[in-house]
Amino acid sequence: MTDILSYNGGTIVAMAGDRCVAIASDRRLGVQYTTIATDMTRVFKMHDRLLLGLTGLATDLTTLRNLFNFRLNLYKMREGRLIKPKTFANLVSSTLYAKRFGPYFCEPVIAGLDDEGNPFLCAMDLLGASSNDDSFVVCGTSAESLLGTCETFYQPGLGPDDLFETISQCLLSALDRDCLSGWGAEVYILTPSGITHKTLKARMD
Amino acid sequence: MAARRQWSPYVDNGGTVVGVAGKDFCVMAADTRLSLGYSVPARDVSRLTKLAPSVVIGTAGMQADTARLHNVIQTNMTVYEHSHRRVMRLGAIAQMLSVLLYQRRFFPYYTFNVIGGIDEHGEGFVYGYDAIGSHERVKVVCTGSAQSQIQPVLDNQVEFKQQYGSQKRDLSLEETVDLVKDVFSSACERDIYTGDFLEIYKITKAGSEMERFELKLD
Repeated sequence: MTDILSYNGGTIVAMAGDRCVAIASDRRLGVQYTTIATDMTRVFKMHDRLLLGLTGLATDLTTLRNLFNFRLNLYKMREGRLIKPKTFANLVSSTLYAKRFGPYFCEPVIAGLDDEGNPFLCAMDLLGASSNDDSFVVCGTSAESLLGTCETFYQPGLGPDDLFETISQCLLSALDRDCLSGWGAEVYILTPSGITHKTLKARMD
Repeated sequence: MAARRQWSPYVDNGGTVVGVAGKDFCVMAADTRLSLGYSVPARDVSRLTKLAPSVVIGTAGMQADTARLHNVIQTNMTVYEHSHRRVMRLGAIAQMLSVLLYQRRFFPYYTFNVIGGIDEHGEGFVYGYDAIGSHERVKVVCTGSAQSQIQPVLDNQVEFKQQYGSQKRDLSLEETVDLVKDVFSSACERDIYTGDFLEIYKITKAGSEMERFELKLD
């Protein structure tokens, strides 16, 4: 048990396009080198313009998903409106840092559209240190490979269809070089008119 | 109990090497940055050596071991040339390197090698090695600090993996060189140990030609 963040495996990438964002994840759930599920969901819809992806330890994934759903419901009840992506990013960051000396072993990726329809991307480490980017963000066991593919294939200003193709190729190519991630992929495309969800079949190993 | 500082004979000088072989050509490329921890002692250190008119070796890892290893290979090749009255062929050089590396099995050369060239039938191939001589003849290989960034891009663009719509085809020499320049630019962005300058060898049956490109100095 050396690296807790790679115990269950899993990878997420998010990319920004022209008034759209895409977030994609793999579907493997493992216990070190054994695969125990191939239909794991890592990306969760927070509301119509906000998606949260979580990588890392699966138990903390579940806990944080429930915790953020709870916090969002409270926010909606008090504020009477949906939370903005950058506010939610701050909420996630504070929640993680509150556990500074006994953290959640989870590295989140946030993808959303703000009120004007502009993309918002944010990735964090397990302590809540966030990095915002206009182009792409990555987290998980294939993060380095994803950095390579995204850096090469990404272009700014892609439409929803081109963005889908680009993010899929980036993820699939990177997954093939990581034994802890894989067994298919899920891609979510978020536009002002709604969310589309596609499942990709890839090398099932 | 605090960990004691222990002297190590090894040091990692970073760097990345890529080899892509086509039907009748081979492209070998490497950056020229020499790193030591977070410092950059030199920006212009070559990782590629031309062993024969159509054979180039590229090595990432520890520069001292690289320099020594390249020298040892060239010396052995000279001896071979005196006995056999001809230059060593690609396959023979590849096998010899494996033997040389395994001879140091219990105090290895800290080197991650790639040999690229044209074989006796005129076809391009590259060989990838680990530190103790395990090798494989392939068409595409990369090694070094940005290996995890570059390898998936080569899988996708040269081998057409995961591209269900597209037709797999052979890349031309110019397309391969452009691709290699692109992957190194991307690698420089995300890997601190890769950068400064890029050396590319374009190898054909007629010989090898070397070109240099600027990469980011940061």
